[in-house]
Amino acid sequence: MDRVSVLETEISELRRILKEKENELQELKSLISDQQSSKELNNHSQPISDASKSSVDACLPKWAIERYSRQILLSDIGVEGQVKICSAKVLIVGAGGLGCPAAMYLAGAGIGEIGIVDYDAVDLTNVHRQLLHHESNENTSKAFSAAESLRCINSKIKITPYNVQLDSKNAQQIASAYDLVLDCSDNVPTRYLLNDLCVMLKIPLISGSALKMEGQLTIYGYRRQDHHQETYIGPCYRCVFPTPPPPAAVGSCSAHGVAGPVPGTVGTLQALEAIKYVIGRTERHLLVGRMLLFDGEDATFRAVKLRPRRPACVACGDRGGGRLIDYEQFCNAPAKEKDLDLEVLPPENRVSANELNVMMNNEERGGRHLVVDVRNEQEYAMCHIQGSVNYPVENLHRNLEELIEKTKEFDGVVFVCRRGNDSQVVAKKVLDVTDKERWSKVKDLVGGLHSWSKNVDPDFPVY
Amino acid sequence: MAETLTVEVMFGGGAELLFNKVKRKEIALPPLKTFLPDSQNQNWTLKELLIWLKDNLLVEREELFLKDDSVRPGILVLINEEDWELHGQLNYELKENDKIMFISTLHGG
Ligand SMILES: [Zn+2]
Repeated sequence: MDRVSVLETEISELRRILKEKENELQELKSLISDQQSSKELNNHSQPISDASKSSVDACLPKWAIERYSRQILLSDIGVEGQVKICSAKVLIVGAGGLGCPAAMYLAGAGIGEIGIVDYDAVDLTNVHRQLLHHESNENTSKAFSAAESLRCINSKIKITPYNVQLDSKNAQQIASAYDLVLDCSDNVPTRYLLNDLCVMLKIPLISGSALKMEGQLTIYGYRRQDHHQETYIGPCYRCVFPTPPPPAAVGSCSAHGVAGPVPGTVGTLQALEAIKYVIGRTERHLLVGRMLLFDGEDATFRAVKLRPRRPACVACGDRGGGRLIDYEQFCNAPAKEKDLDLEVLPPENRVSANELNVMMNNEERGGRHLVVDVRNEQEYAMCHIQGSVNYPVENLHRNLEELIEKTKEFDGVVFVCRRGNDSQVVAKKVLDVTDKERWSKVKDLVGGLHSWSKNVDPDFPVY
Repeated sequence: MAETLTVEVMFGGGAELLFNKVKRKEIALPPLKTFLPDSQNQNWTLKELLIWLKDNLLVEREELFLKDDSVRPGILVLINEEDWELHGQLNYELKENDKIMFISTLHGG
């Protein structure tokens, strides 16, 4: 055992030194490449290619032709496309399940500059799908962790991490350095912010989203001007969704789960659309005015037709846009993955984890209590308080009466769930049909099983 | 017996949770006047379909599907795979074998 801990210590020390040296190398390289790239790839001002105007191949250095040859071989891309890719600047908002695969493919393809925004830190529950982050990155900045992995994929491109929460104050300054934005975020306010921002900057927004087994993808605010100076503009997010959804209708990966390859698929397709946009494909080939619906459960893809741009749209309409607002207020939700703290029940109908523990161990004095876990069957199977019974909230429209009958066999009932929101909702439903003298017997666990793990049973998994 | 109108309804993006997890279902609508004798319309439109869905298939919180007499914000309604905005929204008149989808938008990532 001693040898194990000695090796672990040595390895982590070596890793620290390795990282220092990598950082040093990275800094040196970026200094050099800043000087070189303007010579090598920004061909437009280069005298040599000016002389042979039509032969764009002179613009790609040997290393780039070799490195990117497999995609240059495509007639869709070619040398001309690769030159565009190498000088493109893409901002990715969110280094999560969508942002990681999107960034990996864009870095691999040689996108000249990639910015990656995320305020959050790596959590071990992220690693099953956010493949730029590794176990050793736990608790470190996602933006930095992603940038570090991307540099391992491609050291020839510029990668800028932004370890900030994007908001109405900083968004414009960050995004104005880029040609297009990928919405890989996980919340409604950020989605509206990015839409209004991109409309304002007149750059497209490649918007992906995923939850459980499903994903959605489209490009908002696409603009094209043809030779006759006629402008085509595709719909923006607000053209299609002028009003934000009620917060209770918004699901999150942390509360509802997600299969890793689902955002993986959507993020990968975001990268593909980004590459197609960069090389000059138009709305005829891009997901503009269409939304791709991916259902991983049935393995189906369906591209449905969206409405056109609305001239009356408050963002992209003829008299719309122009400023960013307070999006958390507009959406009545925080700009992070939602974990609500509901207060449905009055304090006298709530118990703490410690109180519940005492109740369960003191039946002679306090009476017999039924502990009802309202999470879904999968969650209950993962872990549950011993002696509790499972009545998933999603099935209660069928078996609420059965549950109420069962509670009558006990002196009291305590509802529990993961964080103490659904448990209140169910307790409220039961209270609504309970006689007033029994009201004090119906309770829920404040803070849910998270609190149980923290205060009573440290071996209880937190997820 | 009077003729029925057959359409397929589909739910996705989480909207299926409000419909007992049913993702697609073929439904046979009775003549409109037997379902809604007071209806102003002669034939089934999306407007009456929403009422029928509420009465017959919706099992969960109505406010997560409907708002006023339309669908709530954040649910995309598609008529034969096209945004219902392109087809007159609530006033669209249902035809035999129409495919009507209700897709809740996703925000996760
Ligand atoms: Zn718009």
